[in-house]
Formats: sequence, structure tokens, C-alpha cells
Amino acid sequence: MPNASDTRPTQDVSTGTPAPAGPAATATAPRRPGTARIVRLVALVVGVALVLSFPTIAPNPYILSAGVVVLSYACTATAWNFMGGFTGYVSLGHAAFFGLGAYATGLLIRDVGLPSFVALLLGGVVVLLVTIPVGIAALRVRGASFVIVSISFVLILLLVFQAWGAFTGGSDGLVVPRPFPDLLRPEHHQVFFYLFAALLAVMLVCWWAIDRSRFGTGLKAVREDEDKAQALGVPTRNYKLVAYVTSATFTGLAGGLYALWFGDLDPIFQFSIMLGTYMVLMALLGGVRHLFGPLLGAVIVGVGLEYFKLEFGDTQLHLVATALLLGVVVLFMPDGIIPAVASLFKRFGPQDSSIREITAAELLERNRAAAASATSASETAGSAVEDDGPHRGGPDGSARGTSERTEDAARRPRSGPKEDR
Amino acid sequence: MTTTLLFQSLVLGVLLGGLYALLAAGLTLYFGVMRVVMIAHSAFLILAAYLAWYFNQQTGMDPLLSLVITVPLFFLMGVGMQRLLITRLRPATLTMMSVLLTFAVALFIEGMIGFVWSGTQRRIQLPYSGESITFLGAQVAVVKLVAFALAALSLGLLYLLLKYSRFGLALRATIQHKEAAQLVGIKTDRVAGFGFGLGLATAAIGGTALSLDATIYPSLHWHWIGPLMAIIVVGGLGSIPGAAVAAMVLGIGQSLLQVPLGTTWAQTIFYVALFATLMLRPQGFFGGRLAQRF
Repeated sequence: MPNASDTRPTQDVSTGTPAPAGPAATATAPRRPGTARIVRLVALVVGVALVLSFPTIAPNPYILSAGVVVLSYACTATAWNFMGGFTGYVSLGHAAFFGLGAYATGLLIRDVGLPSFVALLLGGVVVLLVTIPVGIAALRVRGASFVIVSISFVLILLLVFQAWGAFTGGSDGLVVPRPFPDLLRPEHHQVFFYLFAALLAVMLVCWWAIDRSRFGTGLKAVREDEDKAQALGVPTRNYKLVAYVTSATFTGLAGGLYALWFGDLDPIFQFSIMLGTYMVLMALLGGVRHLFGPLLGAVIVGVGLEYFKLEFGDTQLHLVATALLLGVVVLFMPDGIIPAVASLFKRFGPQDSSIREITAAELLERNRAAAASATSASETAGSAVEDDGPHRGGPDGSARGTSERTEDAARRPRSGPKEDR
Repeated sequence: MTTTLLFQSLVLGVLLGGLYALLAAGLTLYFGVMRVVMIAHSAFLILAAYLAWYFNQQTGMDPLLSLVITVPLFFLMGVGMQRLLITRLRPATLTMMSVLLTFAVALFIEGMIGFVWSGTQRRIQLPYSGESITFLGAQVAVVKLVAFALAALSLGLLYLLLKYSRFGLALRATIQHKEAAQLVGIKTDRVAGFGFGLGLATAAIGGTALSLDATIYPSLHWHWIGPLMAIIVVGGLGSIPGAAVAAMVLGIGQSLLQVPLGTTWAQTIFYVALFATLMLRPQGFFGGRLAQRF
């Protein structure tokens, strides 16, 4: 099935991913101690400060350029997460959009003579327009077939861009004029560091907004069980397409920015399956269900990749290292680092008094409040009682709900072959 | 295009299609027994080709003799891979995660080949390398015929094994309905492991056949992965006859297109077919009703 990880209930208290269900979300809010929120806010501020000050504290231009590379990875991984994280559709071929954005930007500058950043935005539009038909075709299949199609798309583009040398420069490469020809190299890196950071910030805000929207909830429903979501009236096809196009466009913008920064494009590197793999690896490693998961993964993997490049240089061992990392992540922590660390912290924190989302005392208080409002205003009482519905059943009711979900997840793949005939 | 040229490319297409069919059959085996899409198949193919080259280099004997070593070795690797890696994935996400896992295996193999034998292009020189025979006016290289014969032989053996042996019966039962197979006493886990091994054994044979005629280098497997994946999607995931037919049709198509378009553009037929299939019949032309769900 297409979900990127198993069907755990989405109410992840510690990390603040809100539950899609209304009552549970409101119930979590009062229970979370204010300190956790403050800690997260402080961490966010420190993180932003670190990113913003990095160009000034970087010891040499090489480290600075490595920082730009890591940020560009973070952009691609976060863009990937618009599709992979929300819908659970794993695309190994997002490098196609990266390369397309890069080449569109480069060619618009070279052949049309547009200013660099206008070309960048138009390049994003080109990727958007190309992605719509591709997405319609690719999203007709799920799971492994989707992965195959996504890989194929990179391979096609690699083939086309290599073979069509007259237009794209082929294997000779395409030189993209620099937007700031007067700047020295370190200053150039510095400017692009902030540009990538800005793009990343835009993406993170978008992801955050989608995560909290009805649209995002629909996408997550696709991740958990596409057939059920469809049966419940979620327009899965359109939702998936919008998510795919958004993801591709952001990847394309990151590619265009990369083209402006790096200034030299070669099909082998732009349409590389490795780049697509890095995106998946980074997002999975950090945690696809979390806003900052891909960013964290990008920092870890990106730094690792730069290190391997220095250390092993020409040998193929960086492939082996990537392979081992990917294997370990897939086998041992498909949910990523953030959930793993969060659960570790939860172990040291105060124990949950029950497996329920809200404690018995809170439930009692809520019910009392509901009853009180019911007596005072009869018209609001109906909705309040209805809202409390799922939690009325006591511990048994809630426990049963959870076990049903896990059981369902375990059963589904086994019923596959049976339906297949 | 003259008739001779047409016939020539037709013959070459059939020969190529045979090899594709053998390799795609392996892929559908994995998918059948485990619902696993094995990205690493073509990497193992290149590994087998390298082993054949290395064997030839060291002993000077015919690379076909290396099959005596590589086929059992690959079988054991397949069983080990299924038992040690694939079964560790959670059932709910098996299909998706298996792609990433086998992708990691492919990268690992590519990296190790590059590390051990370097990235230099290699080619086996055989006494019969340059020879060709004339068949109804078409020139056919002997090595291509040998490769095709090898593919045809192993596809035939695979068919017989699946059709008439007890193991084949158990394997087909596991593919069709795992629970029912378990109920009648088939140890489906073991059968799945053997099925995986069988798939990898076909990669050993295919790789050796490939090494006779092709220049090999570590990243060559990317050139194979696209066409092979396209074949199994066009044929319908998990359908062995579908894979065979699609392999033959696309192999011949590629060969015919090579004359007017050239090698690179002829490759695109696989992807055109892939996207056309998605638009017309997402489950593939021979696939089951739910093939598109995996």
C-alpha cells in the first residue's frame, strides 16, 4: 500500500502535529505544558538565528559554499515532502523537476534574454505546466508502479536532454549567466545562501499551512487509506495532483536557483537519480510527517555527502555509504529521527496516565461543562454532545478504536492477493 | 528502409526481446511472491556480467562456464536477501519501502563494483566475438545468438520448473493466494525465499549473456532499469506471460526504431509505451484488476 509509514494514529502529542479530528485536537491543547511550547519556540528562534548568521561565522568560502549546497538539499527535500509526506507517494524521480527548473531558467536567460530572477519564476511556471499532464498520468497508479513511473520520468528527461544537444547543450553543458557578475565569489555564495534560505522559509510556511488545512487532512487521509478516503468523498485525484504539482514547482524553483548559483548545467548531474534518492533519504531520515524533518535530514545527509566527497573523492564509495544509510533508515527507522527522539524524550518526561488522548479528569470536566452549557443554552448543547461523541465510550471505547486501526493496517496487504484474482 | 534491413532489425529485435523477456520474468517473480519491486535486479545483472568478465580474465575460459558459480551464488544471495532484508519491512508499507531498500542494494552493488574493478569500461574478447552467420540474408552475430539461446533455454527451464515440479506448484500457489497455500501446508516463507533466489538466478544468466556482447561499466544498470521496469508495467505487474509478450514487442519495436531514429531516441519507445499504458490501462495489458494498487 502507498502509505510511507504504517497507519499510526496521527495524534502525535509530543511534536505538536495536530490531530485531524476536531475534539481530539482541542483536547490536546490544554494538556500540553506551556514549557514544551516555549522550548520549541526557543529552538526555532535559535535555528533561524544559526541559519542567518552562518555566512558570517563560516570560516572559509568552501564551508560557505557547502552550506549553500546543504540548503539547496534542504529545499529539495522539503519540496519533496509536499508529496511524499502528505500523501505517502514515494517519488524517486523528483530530480526531473529539479533539472527541468534549472534548464528552463538557464534557457530562458540564454535564448530569450530575460533577467535572471524573472527567468527563475517563469522556470517555475514551466515546471508547473509540464507537471500537470505528467501528474495526471503518473497518479493513475499507486505504490510501486508510481515509483517506477517517477524514475522513468527522470530517465526520459536525461535521455532527451543528452540527445537534444543543439538546444540544451547536451553533454557539453549549459552555461547560465550569473545574476550578479560584479560580486566576488564569497559574496556570491553569501547572497545565494540567503536566497535559498528565503525559498526554504516560503516552503516551510506553505507546508505548515497545508498541514493545518482541510486540504492537508484530505491528503493525509489518502496516505492512511486511499480507498476509504475516496469512499468518504475526498476528491483524492485532484488533491494528489495539486500536491504533486506544488511539490514539483517548488523543486523546480530550487533547481532554477541552483542553476543561477552554480552557473553550469550538465544533464548527468541535473537529471540524476541520485539526487532524487537524496531527497527521499533526507526526508525519511528526518521524518516525513514533520515540518522540519526534511530540513534536519538534509543537514545530516548533506553534511555527510560533502564529507564523503572530500574524503573519498574519486572512488565509488560514496555510493556505498549512501546505500548503507538508506538501507538503515528504511529498515530501522522508517518514521525518521524526529519521532524517535521525541519518543525518547517522552520516556523521560511525565508518563501519560492513560493511552487516551485526554485524561479521565479532563473528560469529566468537559462533560460537566457540556452539561452545564446544555442546561443554559439548549441550541448549542446538541453540537457539544455530538462533538464529545467519540470520547464518550470511556477507556474501552478509545482502546478499541486504536486496536481496530492497527489490525486493519496489518490485515490489508494480506487481503491483496485475494482481491487480485 | 530496404527489406533486408527491415528483416535484419526484426531478427535482432527478436534476439533482444528474448533477453528482455528472461530478465522481466525475474522481476515479475519477485513481485508475485513478495509484492516487491526489485530495483536492484539490473544491478545484479551487471554484477553477473562483471563476474563473467573477471572469470574470463583470470582463467581464460569461456565466460559461460562462470554460470556454474554465479547461478548458485545468486540463488543463495536471493534467498538471503529475502530472508534477511525484505521480510524485516512492515507489511503495511512493504511495497513502497521495498523499492527504497532494493534501490539501496543497487547503489551498494554499483559502488562496490566501481571500488573493486574501477569505473573503467570492460569487454570480454572471445574467439567467436567477431563472427557472424548469415540467416536468410540477415547478418547475425554469433554472440547474440548464444545470448538468445541462453535466454530461451533458461526461460524454458523456468516454465517447466514452475509448471511441473512440486516446488513450482507451491510457488504458483503462493503467488495466487498466500493464505490458502499456507492452509494446505505450504511453507510460504521458504517458498518466497526460493522464488526470490530463482529470480536472481535469472539475473545471473541474463548478466552472463549480456557480458558476451556488451561493454560493461558500473553505472550501466541505470540503462537497463528503465526498459525493464517499463516492460513489467506495460505487461502488468506480476504477470509472467504479460512480461514476456511486452518484452518481445518492445524489444522488436526498439530494434526497428533504431534504424530511422538512432540508438538514443529508440530507447524512448519504452517510456512512450509506459505512459501510453498508464493512460489506457493503468493495470497493464495482462495485469490483474488490482495491479495498479501496488
